[in-house]
Amino acid sequence: MIEVGQRMPEAALWRVGPNGPGRKPLKEYLTEKRVVLFGVPGAFTPTCDGAHLPSFIQAADAFRSKGVDHILCVAVNDAHVMFRWSEISGAEKAGIEMLADSDGALARGLGLVYNNPTAGMFGRSRRFAMLIDHCTVTEFNLDEVGQYQASTADVLLGQMP
Amino acid sequence: MTLEVGARLPDAEFIEMGANGPETVTLSDLSKDRRIVLFALPGAFTSTCTAAHLPSFMRTEADFRDKGVQDIFCLSVNDPFVMGAWAESTGASKSGIRMICDPGAIFTKAVEMDFTVPSIGLYNRSNRYAVVIDDGEIIAANIDEPNVCDVSTGEKLLEQL
Repeated sequence: MIEVGQRMPEAALWRVGPNGPGRKPLKEYLTEKRVVLFGVPGAFTPTCDGAHLPSFIQAADAFRSKGVDHILCVAVNDAHVMFRWSEISGAEKAGIEMLADSDGALARGLGLVYNNPTAGMFGRSRRFAMLIDHCTVTEFNLDEVGQYQASTADVLLGQMP
Repeated sequence: MTLEVGARLPDAEFIEMGANGPETVTLSDLSKDRRIVLFALPGAFTSTCTAAHLPSFMRTEADFRDKGVQDIFCLSVNDPFVMGAWAESTGASKSGIRMICDPGAIFTKAVEMDFTVPSIGLYNRSNRYAVVIDDGEIIAANIDEPNVCDVSTGEKLLEQL
């Protein structure tokens, strides 16, 4: 599993652009930047939609005032789903970039994959939030499966001077 | 197996969003002693599925019921949270179409309808098709070529009955 001080793994992330969905290496978002990245089990799921994402929408300006260049939300969903979720939830307006880990490579590279077959969730990512400075993880807050405590925006904000 | 008239479908487990969260349903329960329509598509919130394929069954739902169809199921390799949100935003849930999920693509692979297009981030999704099933046996089968939404529409399937 990823740890503070390690470099982020390589992965491609998908997003709907003017010509439909396309992919871009995660590295392009991270190189020479200070980035907040939070991962959720799935778009439109109750905790992700009702609590986790809203906490970052509220805190988006506070993160930016601390020098954060990008706020990225990732889930093992496709780009169409993430796009509509970003519109419906207000994340797009708040400047949060909603990215699809469509093949699950990022979740696997971070060592955060879990399954919940009865809910129809396979190869999903555990809930986490991290601060990444020039591709290196400087804060990493991980929640236990089924919990939502450690990975809120407020906890991460409190760790940033 | 191939989806063709006269074939009997393998049993399969699907997940449907119920009042208290995701529920497992089996194809044998859904189709035993009943006539049902099953149409499958690549993904919730994708453009053709949202603008054309799903609406074609919302338009023709009453006509299918006139032909003795007891239930119309929309199937996709998505999770039930995404399918539930899609049903709500398109009005499909109000129309009476039931959204069922094959999140592990097990059924989709069993009927040889799976496809993968990494460039747009779709993995193990379902090609577009529509079948009428009478007590477990296929009595009409319309299967579209990739990237086409023609014979698997509600109107075209209705012509087969």
